[in-house]
Order: sequence, then C-alpha cells, then structure tokens
Amino acid sequence: MFKREWKRNAKSLMIWSIVLGGLVFLTLSIFPQFAEQQKEVTKLLQSLPPAMIKAFGMDQLSMGDLTGYYGVRVYMMTTLLGSVYAAMLAANIVAKEENDKTIEFLLAKPITRREILTNKWLVVVVNILILNAVSLLVSLIGFQMAKEYDVSLKAIYLLTLATVFLHFTFASIAFFLSTMMRKTRNASSFALGLVFVTYFMNMMSSISEDLSFLKYVSPFKYVDAAPIINELEIDPLYMVLMIVIISISIVSAYIIYKKKDIVV
Amino acid sequence: MGIVDVKQLTKMYKNNRGIDGVTFSIEEGEIFGFIGPNGAGKSTTIRTLLNFIYPTSGSATIFGKDIVKDAKEIRRYVGYLPSEVHYYDDMKVIDLLTYSAAFYKVSDRRLKQLAERLDLDMYKKIEDLSFGNRKKVGIVQALLHEPKLLILDEPTGGLDPLMQHTFFELLLEERKKGVTIFFSSHILSEVQKLCDRVAIIKEGKLIQVETIEHLTKNHLKHVTIVFEEGQHMTFDLAGVVNKEVKGNEMTMLYKGDMNELIALLYSLRIKDVSISEPSLEDVFMHYYEK
Repeated sequence: MFKREWKRNAKSLMIWSIVLGGLVFLTLSIFPQFAEQQKEVTKLLQSLPPAMIKAFGMDQLSMGDLTGYYGVRVYMMTTLLGSVYAAMLAANIVAKEENDKTIEFLLAKPITRREILTNKWLVVVVNILILNAVSLLVSLIGFQMAKEYDVSLKAIYLLTLATVFLHFTFASIAFFLSTMMRKTRNASSFALGLVFVTYFMNMMSSISEDLSFLKYVSPFKYVDAAPIINELEIDPLYMVLMIVIISISIVSAYIIYKKKDIVV
Repeated sequence: MGIVDVKQLTKMYKNNRGIDGVTFSIEEGEIFGFIGPNGAGKSTTIRTLLNFIYPTSGSATIFGKDIVKDAKEIRRYVGYLPSEVHYYDDMKVIDLLTYSAAFYKVSDRRLKQLAERLDLDMYKKIEDLSFGNRKKVGIVQALLHEPKLLILDEPTGGLDPLMQHTFFELLLEERKKGVTIFFSSHILSEVQKLCDRVAIIKEGKLIQVETIEHLTKNHLKHVTIVFEEGQHMTFDLAGVVNKEVKGNEMTMLYKGDMNELIALLYSLRIKDVSISEPSLEDVFMHYYEK
C-alpha cells in the first residue's frame, strides 16, 4: 500500500521539487549581481517603508551577505511554498479516498484503519523529506556559483531543519483535517487557508508591537530566519511547540479515523 | 453457530433511520438473500458487518469473530462487491487487481481465469470503463482471494443478461466449494433463482427470514379469474388480499381455506380460472402491505 501511495503522489512531488528547486537556484544565481550592486540596493532598501522591511525580516539580516540573502529570499520560498505543498499533500491523502469513494475498496481489504493512516502518513513524511533534500541540494549547488562569498553552512542546515519541522507541522494539521472531512475540496482549502493566514499573521506580528501576540499562533514565526542565523540555534520553546502540535494532530487523526463512520 | 450471526444489530444515524434490531444468522454454504426496496437498510447492514460504520447497539459475528474487534481478520476471508463500484481512476484494470491481490495470497492463474470468464479487458484504464465493465472488475476483485464468505450488494446492476448468467454460474461454483454467499438485492426474480433462504427487510426492520420454498408455498395462491361478459364481478371471501380488476379479469392473492375458494368459484359463471404459486414479487408485496 505504501508503494501505491508513493506512486500516486510521485508526479506531484516531482513537479514541486522541480519548481521549488528551480526557484531556489534562480534566486541564488542572481546573488552575485545583487551583491555587486549592494550599495544601490541598500539605498533602495532604505527607501522602502520600514514596515515592509520588518515584515520580511530584512531589518535583522543583511541582504548583502549570502547567508542573510538566503534567509530572506530563498527561505521565504522554501517555507511558504513547501508548506503549501505539505498541507495540500496531507490534506488530500486521506480525504481523497472518501471523496472518490475508493475507501470502500480499501476498507474491505485485510488492513486496519490504523495501518491505512500509518502508510499514508509515512508517504507524507518521505515526500516532505525528499522535497527538502532537493531544495538543500540545489542551494548547495547554488552556493558554488557564488564561491567568492562566504556562507554559514551551519545556519543553512539549521534553516533546513527548521523548514522540515515547519512542513511537518502544517502537514500534521492538514492530515488531521483530512481524516475529519469527507471532501478533499474542504480539507485542502482549510489547510491552504491555514498556511496563508498564519503566514500573514507572522508578517503582522513583525510589523506591529500590538500584534506581537500573534507570533505564538503562527508556525512561520517559530522558524523565523533572523534569530536562527544570528544565534545559530532554533529556539527550543518553538521546537517543543511544533513537536507538541505535530503529536496532538497525529494522535487526534488516529483517534478520529478509528471511530469514524465511513459512508460513501 | 452460523458463518454470520447478527444479534439485535442497530444503527441509528443522526437524522434518519438506519437499521433497528436486525437479527439473523447465515449457515455455512448457503446462499442467503437479503431483499428490500432502496433505503430499507440493506447497505447499512452490510457496511456495519464490514465495519465501515459502527453499530449503535447490538452485535454481530462473522466466522465467530466480532465484526468490530476482529475486522481485519474477518476481511481476509470475505469478498465484497459494493453496489456502486468506485476505483482509482488513474489505474489500469490489471494494476487495480494486482494491488488488490497484494493484500492477500493470490495466484496469478486465478486472476487470469476470472478475467477470462468475465471477458474483461485488463489493459484498459478504469476511468474508461462502462458501468457494467467496472462491475466486472468488482466481481473479479471480490472473488480473487477465494473468500469463504461473499458479500454482494446488488451485484447484478449494469450487467447484461449474458454476463449475469456467467456471474450466477460463478456463484454456484463457489457455493459448491463451500463458500457462503450473502446476496443483497431488490430484484426478486434473481433472489428466487439463486438463494436458499431470504430475509426481507423493510424500513430498517427485518420482517421475515424464510426459505424460498416456504415463502412461496406459504398457502399463498395467486388466483386469476376471467368472468363471463355482463357478470357481476363480486368476489368476497375471507383471506383475499390485493384484489385487482382489469376488464373482466380479476387477480388476487388468496391465503384462506382452499375449499371455500373452490366452493365460491363453483357458484360463479366464469370463463377461465387459474390458481398458481405466487411469484416472490406477490409474496413480497404482501409482506410489505402488512
């Protein structure tokens, strides 16, 4: 069953990997030019409204430095696009069976519901890991193109680790939604909405002190690039928070699915 | 103990009725009909037996095992054909069947044999198949792992008469091997043709479990009388049900004393009369109107 689920989702993994990898590569490949024109860029940045600079975390990271550039531009893509992918994948993977009424086929087989979920969750995990591996690999290749600039590999690895956790967080919430809903349309729109709303919340919390309470609500804040690059660690509180969210979502998914009446 | 034992099985949905206190038992090796109109609770019963949905109260066992606790064990030896067959559209027939087979130990030969019998094109995409051809995939898939119990939910829908015949042949062959068959349907003639015993379900409640023979021989007779022209068509007798008049022909079901029927017929001027075994259809209507 793992094999089958793997195959079914392989195509979309490939497309996402190519798109994300391509974007990462393109972004990194323009860095040398970007760095050369740094003075002008700094000027340009200064002309931007301060709120916008804060929103993208550019106040704490230097765009002229490769690590900082990665933290602002590339990281935004891996976290946001990757989360969209993770949420969509997880939201569809269980609900699709009910949506297409194929669950009737699966449930008639000698397999428990717990095994069904485990297989599907494993596929999600593996796909997310592969997507991140691709993006890391492309980044490393991209750095070769800007050899003359220093990059803190430790920061990059930490950022990648943070991204993986972020993706798992969204995937687990979406997975939970997926077991609850009967229609993929509902599950994936909820999950996507969650990704965008929390992303937006993260920006808001950076801009305004009054909204800073939002930072606990948004997983994007948990993996904010600036503190990771500047302090070379992921805040343990946020790590624990993500692990708790993941565990609760997955356990609830199992409990709900076990008790669910599946009528097609 | 039967292969399937259902005791006071009840499933209530939030708003509408599911099944209420259904109790029956299926013996090893029999073909057990399960009949009722759409919405009577046939599919609900089957889905509860397969643990797609959980019973509100009551219990049931298959092979002596609890349907909720031992669902996985039970499914190993159960073949299920749903009323509407839905499969993964992106797969070819052969892919689906191999996928299905991967859950059990199945020989390739069995797969080929079944597909050949049913004249199934294995290399077509499932989304390109007609309703009847999908059903055939469903049949192969249900029979593939040589289950000891077959649960068929309105299995003949979409099959042409020739294919239906082949399908019934297959079922009878399986029965000879000792397979028990649970056959749900709303088409009486096919139940009559195939089943040993039949349970009638109406509005979520089981009305009667009878052998087909008993059901049709339950003293119930189908009577047709053709009166002579201009006769008063009066026929009042205790035990007459479902009286219908069409022109000078009168049909009815009669379950009273035979002698009284004959006596009354004797006193009338009639052109023609026939007294015959009722069709299951008649019996069925009779149960439903009670």
